[in-house]
Amino acid sequence: MNNISLPPLVALLVFPGGLFLMALGLAYEYIDRKLVARFQNRLGPRWFQPLADLVKLLAKEEIIPDGVHRGLFIILPVIAVAGALTAALYTPLAGFMPAYSFPGDLVVTLYLLSVMTLSMGLAGANTADRFSLIGATRTLTQLFSYEAPFLLALLGPAIAAGSWQISTINLYAENNRWMIFTQPVGFIVAIIGLMGKLELPPFDAPEAETEIVAGALTEYSGRGYALFRLGKDIELVIGLTLVSAFYLGGLANPLEFLLKTLALLLVVAALQSLFARLRIDQTVGLWWRAGAILGLVQLAVIIAGSSWLRPLLFK
Amino acid sequence: MDLEPNKKFVVPIGPQHPALKEPGHFEFAVDGEIVTGATVRLGFVHRGIEKSAESRTYVQNLYLMERVCGICSHVHGTAFTIGVEHLAGVTVPPRANAIRVLVAELERIHSHMLWLGVAAHEGGFDTLFMYSWRDREKVMDILEEISGNRVHYSANVIGGVKFDISEEQRGKILSSLDFLEERTRHYLKVVNEDETFLGRTVGVGIMTREQAESLGAVGPTARASGVERDIRVDAPYAGYEQFPVRMITDTRGDLHARFVVRIEELFEAYRVIREILDHMPEGELTARVPRRIPAGETISRVEAPRGELLYYIKSNGTDMPERVKVRTPSLCNWGSITSVAVGHKLADMPMLLVGIDPCFSCNDRTITIKSAGVDLGWTWEDLRQHGIEAYR
Repeated sequence: MNNISLPPLVALLVFPGGLFLMALGLAYEYIDRKLVARFQNRLGPRWFQPLADLVKLLAKEEIIPDGVHRGLFIILPVIAVAGALTAALYTPLAGFMPAYSFPGDLVVTLYLLSVMTLSMGLAGANTADRFSLIGATRTLTQLFSYEAPFLLALLGPAIAAGSWQISTINLYAENNRWMIFTQPVGFIVAIIGLMGKLELPPFDAPEAETEIVAGALTEYSGRGYALFRLGKDIELVIGLTLVSAFYLGGLANPLEFLLKTLALLLVVAALQSLFARLRIDQTVGLWWRAGAILGLVQLAVIIAGSSWLRPLLFK
Repeated sequence: MDLEPNKKFVVPIGPQHPALKEPGHFEFAVDGEIVTGATVRLGFVHRGIEKSAESRTYVQNLYLMERVCGICSHVHGTAFTIGVEHLAGVTVPPRANAIRVLVAELERIHSHMLWLGVAAHEGGFDTLFMYSWRDREKVMDILEEISGNRVHYSANVIGGVKFDISEEQRGKILSSLDFLEERTRHYLKVVNEDETFLGRTVGVGIMTREQAESLGAVGPTARASGVERDIRVDAPYAGYEQFPVRMITDTRGDLHARFVVRIEELFEAYRVIREILDHMPEGELTARVPRRIPAGETISRVEAPRGELLYYIKSNGTDMPERVKVRTPSLCNWGSITSVAVGHKLADMPMLLVGIDPCFSCNDRTITIKSAGVDLGWTWEDLRQHGIEAYR
């Protein structure tokens, strides 16, 4: 893996965090939208559409509705984006060493990613709007359902690598057989967990437009809405990076990063256009009946394999 | 926000809402995600069509009636002309009757495919929505080919039809039908086999046969509950006597049954259209109709894509009708939503709403409000006076 040493401020604001990540997020949003559109026999957006949306939203007036806690209303989108940007610092973005790294940063990263969902849930619960309230309930319900299986799915490679440090797991993945083959169940749980995290169809019950308009973000407009969208784009990139680093044989250089994350995005886009939306009770049922149990079984197998079978076989 | 306990949490859907393509207002009282009560309020797009029909001639009214609905314009025209022809005592030539049925079945295809797309969209299945609407373009192309218009084909005149089907058009229709039939088979497979889709439709919104009968449901909504009710079979009109259709019913009464019934009706429509094109009766396209229609009153019923469409026409012997009353099928089916909704999840509501294939603008008529014995209905004079003062 390449390592570049950059001044901390540059690492935070330009590369790999900050501007680079935002641009990448918008580019990936475009690719995702375009792919889904093509799968659905539509033309899809032009390449600059996500950026144009962002600029337009940022330029618009932000309406703060009655009955909300003003401070919370303004600060929540900022926290969401900040959480996503911070999480990026610990991931092997663009195939380079993470900007910051310490043992156990996997757990921190996962929780920083959840800050985004938590902020959205709070943002919805903060307003008096009924669609927002129901959307917030659904967002948080979904958080509780996918979080555990997603964590279990990422713990599989961590245990195989014997480390909870993202860069070490990435290194381990590079030098061993791709974990998509050794832990296929974990890969499936991870990719579906990622879709649940990003509220992509068919797990888009929290923002089902035909039922609750825009869910938790119904009352958001202008700057706040733009930030939430940007946060989601960044999370898409980080999620793809994590899953491909862990399961697709690590990310050693920018080219590998691009190829592997885009291949994963293709799969995610295909899954988005294949199914009808799940009701929130179906989502929860799917995760706790199938996702969590599969994740646990795989984890048990890995632990048994690495601590008991391996010494037995390779004595 | 009202935080009083025991107070109902009501989710309003409409008049403006992404799920609704036309304005209507629904209030769902929910307990968490479970719906505990539902009310419907209609009338946002009342257009006064029945009243304006009274100051137009029969020929002008035909164009007006075609515009009651944008999706099923042909059946409205057919119901109106059948009524007027009955009053005038005119017999329509068999070829005209066959063409009426042909256009009606083409219209049914386009309406059912449109519904399939909308219903899939409400369930968050946008891929099916996009594909079914793409394929629907084929039948729109046929309609444009034979009538010159995609939406208001305006096939009827009083006493017959306006256009013939040429040999070249016949070939085009048949080849498009082959394509549509193949695609429809695919959609039936998707509807029957896609796990996520089945999860949203099977067992959702079950309306029993008894409920359907007591609520007066009509059309595919009723047929999906096992009620054998189809005007094309029960009281054949136009060319349906010569080209009979098979009634499609299902006994389960849930959303999935409504999908299956409508898709099966598509196959029946393809079969009938092929039958008509193969055995088109020869002869004239129109019969002579007097300008003044003899005094009398009549009821004409046709089977619209959504169910029974009823027209009442009263003539006073002049060239203008004295009264035209339209009852569209959507109006009969609203009751099924409010009574079936309770106990379901909020997420099922959009699909349940769309399950009856509602057409809001068509069914909006004047409503007489009666409260505590006081009749709040306005007379024509009151309305006129209000109109003058409100816009002064």
